[in-house]
Amino acid sequence: MTTLTRHDRYSVLRHLRPGRRSATALAAAIAASTLLPLAAPQLTRRFVDDAIGGAGTHRLVLIALGYLAVAVAGQGARMLTAWLASRLAWDGTNRLREMLAEHALGLDMAYHGRHTPGEMIERVDGDVVAVAEFVVAFLMDVVAGLLLLAGIVVVVLTVDPRLGAVLLAYCLVIGYGMARAQRLAVPSAARSRAAHAAMIGNLEERLAGAEDIRANGAGEHAVNGFYRAGSAWFHADYRAGRLGTALLGGTTVAFAAGTAIVLALAAWSRQSGTLTVGAAVLLFQYTLMVRTPFERLIDQLREYQAALAGVARIGGMLAERRTLPDPADPRPLPATGPLGLRLDGVGFSYADDGERVLSDVTIALAPGETLGLVGRTGSGKTTIARMVLRLYDPTEGTVRVGGLDLREVDPASARRRMCAVTQDVQLFAASVRDNLTLFRPIAGDDRLRAVLDDVGLGEWLAALPGGLDSELGGVSAGEAQLLAFARAFLTDPGLVVLDEASSRLDPATERRVERSVDRLLAGRTGVLVAHRLSSLSRVDKIAVVDHGRIVEYGPREELAADPLSRFGRLLDVAGVRR
Amino acid sequence: MRPVLVVAIRLARFDLRRFLIGGLLWMPVSVIPLAGGLVLQRIFDQISGHQAASLGQSLWLCAAFVGVELVRGLTLSVAYLYGGYWWDAAATLLRANALRSILTARGPAATRLPHTPGESVARLRDDVSDLVEFTDESVPLAGAVLFSGAALVIMASVDPVVTLVLALPMVAIGVLNRMMSEVIRRLHLRARTLGAAVTAYIGEIFGAVLAIKTAGAEDATLERLREHNRRRRDAAVRDRMATDMLDTVTGATVEISIGLVLLLAAPAMRRGDFTVGDLALFTSYVSWLAALPRTIGVILYRLPQAAVATERLSRLMAAHEDAGDLSWNTGVWFRRERPPTTAPPARDDTLEVVEARGLTVRFGDGGRGVRGVDLRITRGSFTVVTGAVGSGKTTLVRALLGLVPVDAGTVTWNGRHVEDPGTFLVPDRVAYASQVPRLFSESLRENLLMGRPGDHLDRALWSAAFEDDLAGMPEGLDTVVGPRGVRLSGGQVQRATAARALARHPDLLVVDDLSSALDVETEKLLWDRIAGAARDGGGPGTLLVVSHRQAALERADQVIVLDRSRVAGRGPLGELLRTCPEMRRLWSEELVIEAGEQKNTRTTHAGPREG
Repeated sequence: MTTLTRHDRYSVLRHLRPGRRSATALAAAIAASTLLPLAAPQLTRRFVDDAIGGAGTHRLVLIALGYLAVAVAGQGARMLTAWLASRLAWDGTNRLREMLAEHALGLDMAYHGRHTPGEMIERVDGDVVAVAEFVVAFLMDVVAGLLLLAGIVVVVLTVDPRLGAVLLAYCLVIGYGMARAQRLAVPSAARSRAAHAAMIGNLEERLAGAEDIRANGAGEHAVNGFYRAGSAWFHADYRAGRLGTALLGGTTVAFAAGTAIVLALAAWSRQSGTLTVGAAVLLFQYTLMVRTPFERLIDQLREYQAALAGVARIGGMLAERRTLPDPADPRPLPATGPLGLRLDGVGFSYADDGERVLSDVTIALAPGETLGLVGRTGSGKTTIARMVLRLYDPTEGTVRVGGLDLREVDPASARRRMCAVTQDVQLFAASVRDNLTLFRPIAGDDRLRAVLDDVGLGEWLAALPGGLDSELGGVSAGEAQLLAFARAFLTDPGLVVLDEASSRLDPATERRVERSVDRLLAGRTGVLVAHRLSSLSRVDKIAVVDHGRIVEYGPREELAADPLSRFGRLLDVAGVRR
Repeated sequence: MRPVLVVAIRLARFDLRRFLIGGLLWMPVSVIPLAGGLVLQRIFDQISGHQAASLGQSLWLCAAFVGVELVRGLTLSVAYLYGGYWWDAAATLLRANALRSILTARGPAATRLPHTPGESVARLRDDVSDLVEFTDESVPLAGAVLFSGAALVIMASVDPVVTLVLALPMVAIGVLNRMMSEVIRRLHLRARTLGAAVTAYIGEIFGAVLAIKTAGAEDATLERLREHNRRRRDAAVRDRMATDMLDTVTGATVEISIGLVLLLAAPAMRRGDFTVGDLALFTSYVSWLAALPRTIGVILYRLPQAAVATERLSRLMAAHEDAGDLSWNTGVWFRRERPPTTAPPARDDTLEVVEARGLTVRFGDGGRGVRGVDLRITRGSFTVVTGAVGSGKTTLVRALLGLVPVDAGTVTWNGRHVEDPGTFLVPDRVAYASQVPRLFSESLRENLLMGRPGDHLDRALWSAAFEDDLAGMPEGLDTVVGPRGVRLSGGQVQRATAARALARHPDLLVVDDLSSALDVETEKLLWDRIAGAARDGGGPGTLLVVSHRQAALERADQVIVLDRSRVAGRGPLGELLRTCPEMRRLWSEELVIEAGEQKNTRTTHAGPREG
């Protein structure tokens, strides 16, 4: 875990800060929800003293009604505070979540290659939720609780300074004691939680590996392992429970002792005549009121640790820097027509471990020419394709598209003029429309329908009950491929990067996909990452990639005709006609 | 009886002694506040001068008040600790029963488990807690009933009218709890659903990060996230408000009750019939009295929740099992180890021939399934299943082994019908090394043996070509591997899994595709060694292998070619290359791939940086 300075922590929490108006409203609500409960005992005091003093029933009833009104208003204020606090906390943490998502989306593919979507969920959502819960609780329990405690002490001080001093001293002692005791209980409570997490982890691994266990006939053995984890949990829980319940019992007794001290002092003051009966009742009620805020405060001490860890992880992610700097003087790509492509001595290694992936890659494509990249898995052909899309910047050499160094090209224009169709099509659980446009307002419904028609999904769309609004679900691999082509057609790119599907589709779909490939490449510059040699008949040039180097490069026809070329040999082995 | 009550009663009964004693220990915790209230009454009567007493007497009463609370604190600690055992035991019982059913009961487990292990874990964690808490709630209920009965009697003896009126707000709390619980449940569900939608959407964003980046759709994607976030916020705030409102109303009712006491007692107090001490007694009882309607409300709220939990947990169990099996008393093993299960009796059905007829799976996992596949494997044979990606190879072997539910088809072992392949085709008969194997966060030895004696281990490790890897590990077989241990490379995991299967010394070894993690040379070495072990009796003699590698295909006695869920050809490789076009196509593709790979025979490690 990264250690955070005060400044880093502030820069995370800054995003949670509410607007001025909301903050004022919240402050007012907190003040009301503190003051109103403080007023209630004053009315009971008046009631008791007046009743004993022989005031009229009418007056007593009036006081009782006043008590009712104050009580109800106090609860109302509490609810208002809760509403405002949770709204503010959600607004703040939503901002934080959006900012984190934006930041993470800006990080390059090397980062995303190392982090699974599951991890990203944990970073962008899980940690933020922990912080959100703490912020609500902080406003409700810590701020309001401390205010209430302070209010009680101040009121009691005005009623009887000596008693007030005793109450203040008592609060300080018990607060210190509870915090210390809490700290004492933390290690064993943490061990108990760790044992629980280990048990759940054991369960999770066994469930994830259920088939391995069944197929190896180790079911009962695994259940025995779970019993062991359960037993470890129980013992840790029991030890933590011993301390925890001792604390609970201790707290009960400590509060009773406080109440008793105040009562004893009240009895004594009554004897000397300095205190009315009503004031004694008032003191008693205030003493009782001390307990709840204390307990909540102590609870929050524990949550604070978890929230702090969340803040630290969020700060750690914000510290990740993107490695693709925006151009100082962005220049747009030509707005129409195919784009030329030129890689000059391009080399690439990962920044984190220096692993060399590409060396000295030189490729030139005139506008409208197509290139087939051939090589085994891991040879570097996908990395070359990603350099073309500027998902990475080369560590050596340059990538030029439309005559411009990609590092100087306006990113927005690059995204408009270049597109990629990858073999694992990434779909959202959203409408057909959103899946085509990726949530952008780039095309009207008519255009979307026309494009779907073009790639051969017209009938498929017609069969969907909600048309373009239907939520996407249960698409076959072939349909997913065709949807990806439809996405590409929408933007009319000048350069297309195509990562060919390696799984086998049924012949009808395969023909439709091939037709779409042909149409997409027609009149456009294309880079085709090929998994099957048979699909390379349509390209102009071939580059054979091995260990991050181009080991063979030239016009397809020449290479195919050369019996000594690698490409030619591959075609021979595959039995593909040259 | 309703399943949820079956579970609750079983949970109360599996350790009845502890449940009852624990419950009885709790009673004083609920009842002692009665004494506290009475002491307060006396103190205030003395303070107000209603009862003449010396200061010393008042101080003694204050000490008594502390004493009463001290007794309560002590009982609380003891009861809590004692009850903790029952709580943990009940939760472990339910979890172990569900886990046992998933891991050992008849019928394929795949269909019972939800899509992600995370979801099943959530059920076993949260639903189990819901059920245990529901059962546990009966104890505070009994305590609250006891307290309320006694408190009402005491209060009625002071002032019956005020007491009667006080009962009304309590009823109101109960009714309100009942009414609100449905609303709260709905709002809670909605907040959870929308929360899950945000989580899922974030997952989708980062799953589709390549598509988003290449399309430049970052802003639009984030705008959609904002929409999801707003919806979630509204639902979450509403959810919290509903819960808060219930709390507030309960709190307000207590305050209103105190106000009512003041109102009603005003005339009596003026007359001196209702003393300040009585007022203290009433106010102190009122806040405890609120516990009864609240507890009833909680139980009424928890009941449907517990019913859902029971249903969801029962769905994890096999089709022939129910809530009774879920909560069956299978013992608690907190203080001693559960004795290891006895080894299965020696069997006399050594493999001669295993056969499958008309095996059909309509929806295979991820792939297309298989349609009407026949399969015959005789002792000592080497069978290879091959085919293109998605042709149904993995589904076929998994259907044979009973790991996925089959829609049609039968399996026989030496001519005898196999009722449940999932529990029959296991070691010692069959061992299976799956395509996506799992290792657990335990020592390598434990992962390989999984409860078996280790007599075949060295040979198995050698056959699986794992000995070099093992030599490279300083702690050898004690190395902790798996998600929370040392991460093995993809190839190491595959070979360790093969060793795990070999160590079981099965009649038939089934190995799913190794090629994604093993290079050509290593896979060839593996087949050489396994075949060698088969020849000298040091390993399984019969093999069923999913592969498209030359090394496996050339060695095969029979190759079964799958094409889009159906058998496109079967026989020795040479014959198929003449007669089966799909085999020729696959073979030539494989030759190209291996020709490309053989120029450099370095070990391929897991997860190449590009994909």
